[in-house]
Amino acid sequence: MHVFFKTAPFLLRKFLNIAAISFIIFMLVRAVPGDITDYYSARGDYDANALLALRQQLGLDDSLPMQFMTWLKAALHGDLGESMRFGTPVATMLRDALPNSLLLSGAALLFGLVTGMSVAVLALAFPAWRLGKLLESLNVWSIAVPTFCTGVIVILVFSVWLRWLPIRGQLLLPVIILGIDIAGQVVKPLYEELCATTRAPFIRTARAKGLSNWRIAWRHILPNSLSVVVAMSGVILGGLIGGTLTMEALFSLPGLGSLTLEAIHGRDYTVIQAAVMLLAAFVVLINIATAALQASIDPRLARHHE
Amino acid sequence: MHRRTLIQLFAAASCAGLFPPLLRAETGAAPKVGGTLKIALMGLDTSDPHRHSGSISVQQVYVETLTSVANDGTVKPFLAERFEVSDDGKVFTFYLRDNVQFHNGRTMTAQDIKANLERVRDKVSAGWLSTSMKLVDTISVTSPLTIRIELKESFAPLLNLLSELWIVAPESEGWDETIRHPIGTGPFTFGTWQANQRFYAPAFKQYWQAGLPYLDAVDFDLRGDRDNSLSLRSGDLHVAYVNNERLPSLRSDNVEVQFLGDTSWYFMSFNNRKPRSLLQDVRVRQAIALSIDKSAYMSFIGGQEALISNQLTRPQTFYWDQALEQRDTFARPNLAQARALLQSAGVDPAQHTLKVVSWQADYAQVAVQMVRELGFKIEHQALDDIGAQRALAQYDWDLAPFHSGPRADVYLRYARLQSQGPSPMLWGGIQDAELDRLIAQAVDAPSASVARERYLGAWQHVMDRLYTLGIGHSADAIGVAANVHGYQTGFTWSQNRVDSGLARTWLSA
Amino acid sequence: MSRVIKQWPWLILGLAVVIALLAPLLPTQDPYYQSLLARNLAPSAQHWLGTDSFGRDVLARLVAGTRLTLLVAVAATCIAFVGGVGLGLLGCLAGGVTRTVIYTGFDMILTMPAILLSLALMVALGVGTGSVILAVGIAFMPLFAYVTRAIHERESAAGYVTAARVIGVSPLTIAWRHVLPNAIGTLLTQIAIVMPRAITTESVLSFFGMGVAPDVPTWGRIIATAAGFAEQAPLSLLFPVLALALTTLSLSLVGTRLRDTLDPLGKQLAAGA
Repeated sequence: MHVFFKTAPFLLRKFLNIAAISFIIFMLVRAVPGDITDYYSARGDYDANALLALRQQLGLDDSLPMQFMTWLKAALHGDLGESMRFGTPVATMLRDALPNSLLLSGAALLFGLVTGMSVAVLALAFPAWRLGKLLESLNVWSIAVPTFCTGVIVILVFSVWLRWLPIRGQLLLPVIILGIDIAGQVVKPLYEELCATTRAPFIRTARAKGLSNWRIAWRHILPNSLSVVVAMSGVILGGLIGGTLTMEALFSLPGLGSLTLEAIHGRDYTVIQAAVMLLAAFVVLINIATAALQASIDPRLARHHE
Repeated sequence: MHRRTLIQLFAAASCAGLFPPLLRAETGAAPKVGGTLKIALMGLDTSDPHRHSGSISVQQVYVETLTSVANDGTVKPFLAERFEVSDDGKVFTFYLRDNVQFHNGRTMTAQDIKANLERVRDKVSAGWLSTSMKLVDTISVTSPLTIRIELKESFAPLLNLLSELWIVAPESEGWDETIRHPIGTGPFTFGTWQANQRFYAPAFKQYWQAGLPYLDAVDFDLRGDRDNSLSLRSGDLHVAYVNNERLPSLRSDNVEVQFLGDTSWYFMSFNNRKPRSLLQDVRVRQAIALSIDKSAYMSFIGGQEALISNQLTRPQTFYWDQALEQRDTFARPNLAQARALLQSAGVDPAQHTLKVVSWQADYAQVAVQMVRELGFKIEHQALDDIGAQRALAQYDWDLAPFHSGPRADVYLRYARLQSQGPSPMLWGGIQDAELDRLIAQAVDAPSASVARERYLGAWQHVMDRLYTLGIGHSADAIGVAANVHGYQTGFTWSQNRVDSGLARTWLSA
Repeated sequence: MSRVIKQWPWLILGLAVVIALLAPLLPTQDPYYQSLLARNLAPSAQHWLGTDSFGRDVLARLVAGTRLTLLVAVAATCIAFVGGVGLGLLGCLAGGVTRTVIYTGFDMILTMPAILLSLALMVALGVGTGSVILAVGIAFMPLFAYVTRAIHERESAAGYVTAARVIGVSPLTIAWRHVLPNAIGTLLTQIAIVMPRAITTESVLSFFGMGVAPDVPTWGRIIATAAGFAEQAPLSLLFPVLALALTTLSLSLVGTRLRDTLDPLGKQLAAGA
């Protein structure tokens, strides 16, 4: 009960975020003159009357608040409307695009975390290998080199010069590029946390008890370090979403990112609206999840959460 | 070699080069049935065939039309077996083919045609044929397979425009609003559509052309406007739109390159709706025109295959005139003469900043640089489709280098120059009653040769005032992989035509 | 000598800044001049790094690009700094509703990935250098605001602030004369963190065609143009990418080192944010 009263305002604030961001984007995209009828006007052979009819049909002549209310009412009923450009239901477009983005980000996250953790653990467990340099370089790489740079070079090398892989539609290269980026972000803090934990008294006790290195690592150190990863998840996630967008654009992958980009280019308001809302909801949900996870992993934090 | 033979050979070669190349030597190879063709040309904007505008390259495989523009640009009957046009050009009679089935098994009748014509005229107010359909007076079904259209006034382009009025079964879902699932007569059916991504079209086995299509299905990559040369070379795509830049590397990789019959027309327009005083002096316009190096410009756009022309129709086609081309004063750049003209007009270019609006196309930067050579300062706004449209419609710019894609009928090119025409802003929003009259007369012409004369007269009118400067033409290129047979590009982007198309295409490996 | 090499991030950064400042004076060719007959050329005596798809000299564009990219990044970071610190400070000092409103606003901005937000802003503002600076600046304001709040919380708890308050010194004077000097280290570090991200964001925007005008040679734009001709002129792609990567790398390393020396609070923030 206590937990509920504490989390309720927190959750409420988060959901308010989503609503507010939707409203802002709604206003922002419509702020400037230029909408889907201009798109048709530029492409095709509509005359002035036809364009007027199109505008009325799409409700673009209603006042802004009215447009938002119309959209909100429908959205609350689960009807996200139709794409202004294609006429297809937005929900279907999202449904088709989402799995691709999830696959890319999920695979990248997995690859990145596994790589990062492995390097950190190996560096700790086998100091003789002098993996410190690798660690540093990974870290520096992910901070400094933008993923789109890597992407462009990789396309140049693997698809244009070597012709090993096609550019479009393949997930291997984007997953590796994003994954290494994530690995770089996690590896240094993880290593430092691991080092700090190994020096902790309870580890010495475990060692004194005669537990093997592996056992100690697996059952004692790693769980503590998990909270590091969870804490960093906010930063990782921000980079992941932006990175997925860039990779989708570079490698022609049919995900949420390229959907949003196309929609922005074509001023397809309904799609932009729904896609941005979905993204924001995602971010917020992950925030909530990590906060909860963090609280449960590390009771110390639960006490003085904001 | 005898000089006359040389000239004849040259003439033959240039003629051959104008039309899409002949099919690969089929030497007895029988078409193989089966397989899925992967193709990437343009996108699909809507599932309602009557609402589609602009360049269309997908829906022709599932919906068809009364007439069809053949490979050489002439209009031939398609779903109609034959047609008759009255002497006054106001009555069109179409005799339909027998036993054409819709995808749901029902046979097509004249009533269906009538329903489609009426829908375009009455319901689809935002469709691009609706204005032309307003000219229709009555539509009558005189027999199950005969339909008669009477117009209020004679309108020659009707036959060509009907090649883009697709026949859909009225029982298609969404007929009263927006058709969601079109039931057509084409060789392939409306399968699954993922907007802006992919369109999968399985074959229709009861297609009215017996034995066709050979393919099991066609898989369209809808992302459009993209260069696909690498995918063609690696085998991910069988047929795809390619950038003219890529042609040499494609050819070296055994990918055949075909060109569309009609071209994209490249031009630079002046602001004709609200020109500023500087550009109201035709000498200034002439000076600017003289700064454009047409040869370098078109070669930048389309390489060796690009053509220079001062006219809006493709060189060596019916509505283009050799003599007019040879009289072109702007065929070659002449900066000295340009500067002299500016001087005589009392204009010091360094004192003026010209505003240029364009899409984010590379050739616009080339145009800007060329005009800068004259000494003008340039403020260049390169915008996306919508931004450019908005900026153009404000009419507070001076120069606009743009291009316009292939069209089914020459009228559609001239229509944009009319005061009430569709999207006239790419041509500076011309409002010239005399020009309107000239174009209307051309449309009203009793014969093709008279129409030609009148169209050319209208174009001379445009050239004299330098409303827009015609720079050249470049045909879009399509790459075709080596294992694709029976594929031939057409006059426009249509993939299913009376004399060729995807119905006749087959894969060998 | 090895000591100098160890400081290589500073060297690269210094080089970039020097090039940026001196760019108009350097004897390179005109970065905007197109030579349509000399497109996609390999390096030669006349064009040390070759030409791009418009026949423009790659070296000249790189040099001009250094100046423009850094200019945009610095301007955007300034906007982010002024907006973030200014509004953040306002919120902290005013407290109550103002603080909640301001920080909820920043919360919302953070909910969107920087790239998507900048894209949406560019749609509203229209393509161009000024809009890019504004859009990127706004996207990174929250980072400065949060740092400001953390500083404020840390310093308010410190004894000297309470003491000053007791004496009756106004909050603004406290902020200016006492807090700010202590916070400089943290703020500087934050600048060094934000600037490379600003460069990257502008590059991605320009790469997508929603950044600066097409012929303006920021590195992102140069990369976008060159990417289409990767086969014909690989060097015109390689060099701007290298330039971008090296500069962001150096900036980030400088930032990390600054943080390690000047700002232990920042370290905590980065780890726990």
